[in-house]
Amino acid sequence: MAVRAQFENSNDIGVFAKLTNSYGLVAIGGSENFYSVFESELGDVIPLIHTTIGGTRIVGRLTAGNRHGLLVPNSTTDQELQHIRNALPDSVAIQRIEERLSALGNVIACNDYAALIHPDVDRETEEIIADTLKVEVFRETVAGNVLVGSFCALSNQGGLVHPRTSVQDQDELSSLLQIPLVAGTVNRGSDLIGGGLVVNDWTAFAGNDTTSTELSVIESIFKLQDRKPTYVVNEFRDSLIDSMT
Amino acid sequence: MASYYNFKKVQVVPNGTEFIDIVLSKINRKTPTVIHPNYQITRIRSFYMRKVKFAQDCFDEKLGQILSDFPKLDEIHPFYADLMNVLYDKDHYKLALAQINTAKHLIDNVAKDYARLLKFGDSLFRCKQLKKAALGRMATIMKRQKDSLAYLEQVRQHLARLPSIDPNTRTLIVCGYPNVGKSSFMNKVTRADVEVQPYAFTTKSLFVGHMDYKYLRWQVIDTPGILDHPLEQRNTIEMQSVTALAHLRACVMFFIDVSEQCGYSIKEQVGLYNSIKPLFANKPVMVVVNKIDIKKPEDLDPEQQELLNSITNDEEVTLALTSCYTDEGVMDVRNLACDKLLASRVEQKLKGTKIQSVINKLHLAQPVARDDKERPAFIPPAALNKIKYDPKDPNRPKLAKDIEEENGGAGVYNVDLKHNYMLAKDEWKYDVIPEIMDGKNIADFIDPDIEAKLEALELEEERLIAEGFYNEDDEMEDEEVEAINEAAAKLKDKKSILVQQHRLKKTKNGKGLTYKDKARSSRLDDFEQVLESKGKEASLHNLRDKSQARVGKKRSRSEVSVSKDRSKSLAGRDDVPRDRSVMGLRNVKQKIEADKLKNNYQKLPNLMAKRGESDRAIQTKMPKHLFAGKRKMGSANHR
Repeated sequence: MAVRAQFENSNDIGVFAKLTNSYGLVAIGGSENFYSVFESELGDVIPLIHTTIGGTRIVGRLTAGNRHGLLVPNSTTDQELQHIRNALPDSVAIQRIEERLSALGNVIACNDYAALIHPDVDRETEEIIADTLKVEVFRETVAGNVLVGSFCALSNQGGLVHPRTSVQDQDELSSLLQIPLVAGTVNRGSDLIGGGLVVNDWTAFAGNDTTSTELSVIESIFKLQDRKPTYVVNEFRDSLIDSMT
Repeated sequence: MASYYNFKKVQVVPNGTEFIDIVLSKINRKTPTVIHPNYQITRIRSFYMRKVKFAQDCFDEKLGQILSDFPKLDEIHPFYADLMNVLYDKDHYKLALAQINTAKHLIDNVAKDYARLLKFGDSLFRCKQLKKAALGRMATIMKRQKDSLAYLEQVRQHLARLPSIDPNTRTLIVCGYPNVGKSSFMNKVTRADVEVQPYAFTTKSLFVGHMDYKYLRWQVIDTPGILDHPLEQRNTIEMQSVTALAHLRACVMFFIDVSEQCGYSIKEQVGLYNSIKPLFANKPVMVVVNKIDIKKPEDLDPEQQELLNSITNDEEVTLALTSCYTDEGVMDVRNLACDKLLASRVEQKLKGTKIQSVINKLHLAQPVARDDKERPAFIPPAALNKIKYDPKDPNRPKLAKDIEEENGGAGVYNVDLKHNYMLAKDEWKYDVIPEIMDGKNIADFIDPDIEAKLEALELEEERLIAEGFYNEDDEMEDEEVEAINEAAAKLKDKKSILVQQHRLKKTKNGKGLTYKDKARSSRLDDFEQVLESKGKEASLHNLRDKSQARVGKKRSRSEVSVSKDRSKSLAGRDDVPRDRSVMGLRNVKQKIEADKLKNNYQKLPNLMAKRGESDRAIQTKMPKHLFAGKRKMGSANHR
């Protein structure tokens, strides 16, 4: 089920929230409206944690994680780390990383089995990512952009990548990640997929500006509501052509 | 895109007299009103000239506004151009705007003429009469535009009420004879609330409605009914339908009432179809048989069926059956029409060049298996069994938002971060843990066996150092490097000494000896040495004694004389400067004489308040404020 949400009038909800198959992080905002959107969809299924990272609300961009673990940047305080540890189940490993590229959400894009990372990430960090998140790690770019986390959104079911990713790149990335991929946009044409979309294996949340066309692409590629990824190229193709050109 | 074609922004057009009132009152408000005959004539002229010019500006602005607001028939989409032609008559419309434009130019000319005449006005009265004449003529010109203005105001009111149809988007056009159920269909598929009545020409203009299908926004246009007669005889209402059919790239849905309840026979309806068929060229066409709850096409006479088949036999044309009364087939017809239009639009677009830029978004990348590993999705059973949250359900689970609302709302309520902690015992949740204890950060000791781990690490480090893990193969180049280092150190020392010496030479205090000093400091022994080195017998002892004796009288000389001499010479430099006023004067008498002469010479410059002979400045000779007399009213111009 794909849901639209907004964080304090910002449509870039991927900046203020992180979602995985076993937990979710949500920024502490002025009101509980944003948190409650997640709560109504995921409450009682996975723990949803109010937190800040290094005193900031941009938790989605600073952290990276999947079902197995959570990586937080060096700027995370001891108290925040303790808070997250207390609120997460023991099966999820938390690791604070000493990494120059500290916006881990921007430089790492991952699902439960594979991760794409920024080409300049430290070799030690790469090892920590592989160990903590239990993933295969690939140094890749998405449509020539090194910030892989900002320009794609992945789940175990599928992935949405930057709208200018070439067909060859899509095929290559898809084979690396072993999931179907499609190029698209969120938030009425925004190419910052990671910023506008948070997704796990059974739900997706997109910014309020996301059009119904974009939302239906999202639903089909992430196999939400029994949609098939092939829907994009079969039944839905004509609508896409007519609305995009 | 749709907002581009809405004409609601056109401003109200005032009628002739209102127009004049507006301008005249504006002149009164925005220009000065007080003038006296005893003012200078130039002032009076400029006062009235300003009024005339201002009047011209006001008229210009208002008329220009009208000209720019109204859409130009040549610049808008042909559909709208034609629609406006049908509704308001193109010639009449253009003529009205042209007359407004002419009026604008006439007013400009009047203002120019009278401004020129005003230059020769020789009294207040004449100037005033000229102004009056100018404004009067402008008003007359505007009065003559009464009809054009009234017409334009009517057009404006009608224009603002036109439906905002986007000519380029996905459109379905519903057409057919009057009373065949076009508006009923429109009401069924969209939320537009079009009036439906059981008489012909209920719909007298175009109506637009919107609907969603396949995640796209579609526009449905309901047209007034058309009768089958030649184009020239069609009335305005019918012509609107024809315009829409002619100019919009849309799916045409031709409605036929086989029950003939509408009052027109099938033969007439088929005849109409054939006569307006040229308008359907290059468009997807559907023939919709309506009111099948009353009569189905199968129940028709053979000859009527024959007629119907004559139009539906065409490959391009699709036949569909519907009944707006029983809702039978309404959605099917809509979907069929939409699909048909979409297919034709996509076909058109695939031929274009724009498609290349989106081709990568139409591609689904499927993974090629690279190993045998299973990568299943991870969906917890709780997620599958979760009941969908319904905000209207009274037993819905309480969200953080509800709790916030109960506790004073946003800004008052603070979220309880510790409520959801997963700890071994629930009472630990709210335990207060200090950050720093005994000068140490608690977080550093969160791991119970951190000390043991640290010790192990340190041991390993020691072991590595002992094993010589860190001092790798340095010794190889040791000697070479040492030699280089030594040489470098020597060079460095030498260089620093040179630099110091150079500095010493340069500084004032460490200044080297002058030739004089050098000569003074050189001793007889040196002289002897030099001579000896040149192979000459040196017996200068006498000379030495003599000189010593002589010198000794004047000043005491010793081995350290050099340093003494130097110190003296240095001290000499620090002397107080000598008084120059007595320089070159032999005695006190001469000095007194000189002072007297100097005083005499300075008398005149002192008198003239000069600083000295070099002071040649000429001050203001007559400062105005000191020499001006009493001032009368209005004579303070020099300030």
